[in-house]
Amino acid sequence: MTPTPNALRTIQWMVHDTFRQSIASKLLWVMLGLTILCTVFCFGISVNGDDEPPRHPDQLPTYMPRSHDTPEVRAEGVRVVSGRVTLGFGLFQFDISKKRDDSVRLIQLWLAGILADTAGVLLAVLWTAGFLPGFLEPHSVAVLLAKPAPRWSLLVGKYLGVVLFVGLHAVFFVAGTWLGMGFSTNVWDPRYWLAVPLLILNFAIFYAFSSFLAVWTRSTVVCIFGTLLFWLLCWAMNLTRHHLVGFDVQGITPAAAFLVESGYWILPKPLDLSGLFFEMMQAADYSTPIPELVAIKEKGQWYPELSLLTSMTFAGIILGFAAYEFRKTDY
Amino acid sequence: MGGLFYYLVTETECELCLDKLTEAESRVNKVSTVAVFDQVEKKYRLGHFRQTWNTALQGVSFTIPAGGVFGLLGPNRAGKTTLIKLLLSLATPSSGNIIRLGEPLSNRRTLARIGYMHENHAFPKYLPAAELLAFYGGLSGLSSEIIPTRVHQLLSFVGLSDRSREPIAGFSKGMVQRLGLAQALLTDPDLLILDEPTEGLDLFGRQLLRQVIQNYRAANKTVLLVTHVLTEVEELCDTIAVLVHGRLVYMGALASLVQDPTTGGRRSLETALRMLYEKEVPA
Repeated sequence: MTPTPNALRTIQWMVHDTFRQSIASKLLWVMLGLTILCTVFCFGISVNGDDEPPRHPDQLPTYMPRSHDTPEVRAEGVRVVSGRVTLGFGLFQFDISKKRDDSVRLIQLWLAGILADTAGVLLAVLWTAGFLPGFLEPHSVAVLLAKPAPRWSLLVGKYLGVVLFVGLHAVFFVAGTWLGMGFSTNVWDPRYWLAVPLLILNFAIFYAFSSFLAVWTRSTVVCIFGTLLFWLLCWAMNLTRHHLVGFDVQGITPAAAFLVESGYWILPKPLDLSGLFFEMMQAADYSTPIPELVAIKEKGQWYPELSLLTSMTFAGIILGFAAYEFRKTDY
Repeated sequence: MGGLFYYLVTETECELCLDKLTEAESRVNKVSTVAVFDQVEKKYRLGHFRQTWNTALQGVSFTIPAGGVFGLLGPNRAGKTTLIKLLLSLATPSSGNIIRLGEPLSNRRTLARIGYMHENHAFPKYLPAAELLAFYGGLSGLSSEIIPTRVHQLLSFVGLSDRSREPIAGFSKGMVQRLGLAQALLTDPDLLILDEPTEGLDLFGRQLLRQVIQNYRAANKTVLLVTHVLTEVEELCDTIAVLVHGRLVYMGALASLVQDPTTGGRRSLETALRMLYEKEVPA
């Protein structure tokens, strides 16, 4: 029984146990239900926007594409796409000045980049926050820790189990909504699948922090609120840093600037991860990007690979701390 | 039932498919002691920020011989559970040294040869009994080929084979205790640690447990029994250690303890223990 295969086997058993736990706690069905709702929503979408009739200034739509929204256009008229989006199997309709492909990609951007990446990830953190504290409850964990399995592998196995479980749902969500939109609009953009790694990575980073809190406090409440606060802190730090750098904000003390800069590089960067997804979806063609991201890109201060790497490093280090704390804790 | 267990303990070792023991571990199989405690001290810090310490064990030194039933006795808060936790690596000693099955505590592989029945099991309630045993078997190092057979044998042995597919959320405390016993026997361990094992057990469960202990003794394996039930101690234990306020106050044969030192006659175990407890004043 060499240590490595023993640890791998332990991780495998813990992953299996986590899936059993998620089925028993009905979480699997709740998340599947939400995915099915989103899929049905996507099946109920229809989009048209293939014709570009010339528009007299009196006929210009309220919302114009940014490139067209100039005083000259408003004075002389322009050819603007006459698009229309229908939601809920025809229940709701609204005009949109975008081509059909762009309208679909905009909806996909909202679904994956905002709904799933923000609300979905936070809900997943909330729903899975009790998994580790329950597992670490002394009476429950004592028999497990009396087994020959390395302690760290028990924790890592549980962590990976939760991440894989959420990852599986990310795949279901993206697949379901992609198929739904594809069938209803006939737009099949494979770039939408890039949302899967984004969602998994985003969740894995914040769940690593939740795991650390779980080992440290064994409290579900602390895990939930601590992780939500941490997520807010990371967003705020990320946005503040880009605002300061991108817009050359004056009057900041060197100490504050250093604090923000070092905080930005140390902490995970959820805004950058979203920005990366926007970039991969070429969202600038059909959506209004976050001004801070545009500004730092223009200044040449946009390093998506480094953002990704440092965010993942943070997750690895915090999970390492959790494993170390778990290893030396008395039960 | 007893015959089946005897089969489980003595005949199936070759079938367990635990990964092959190293030469050093095979040597350990033949050691004459299963645990050695040498000047063991354990202090717990109270709270995260307070620097006050509670001494649970101090200067405890004794040896648990291989083979037979070893009783660990003492009043509440005497340090019995702490001692078990140290032996199982659930906690680390503040000072002193512990040898477990011939190896230092850092060698967690020796835990595969120890079965532990907790006094108050909190098993994952979402798992059915069979899956629970399979899960613990997997973590104990049993190969996936042997787990189904072993689980089936043990569930039959503890009288739960007809409930094997039911989640244990619906089990009574006695049934959970029996499942705990099955869990402890998964790897056919050399050392079986029973911490208040009869708590919540019905008559069938108690008979079952007694049978397990007697078969362990017959197989020259070791049982470490922590209990407050003195009739069990008198009936089952060969050697006992008594802890009071974290100190070892007696270690030796049960027969010697119940012998009155003044008259040479026999006294009750309760009388002997009460004298030990009253003699030891808290530090």
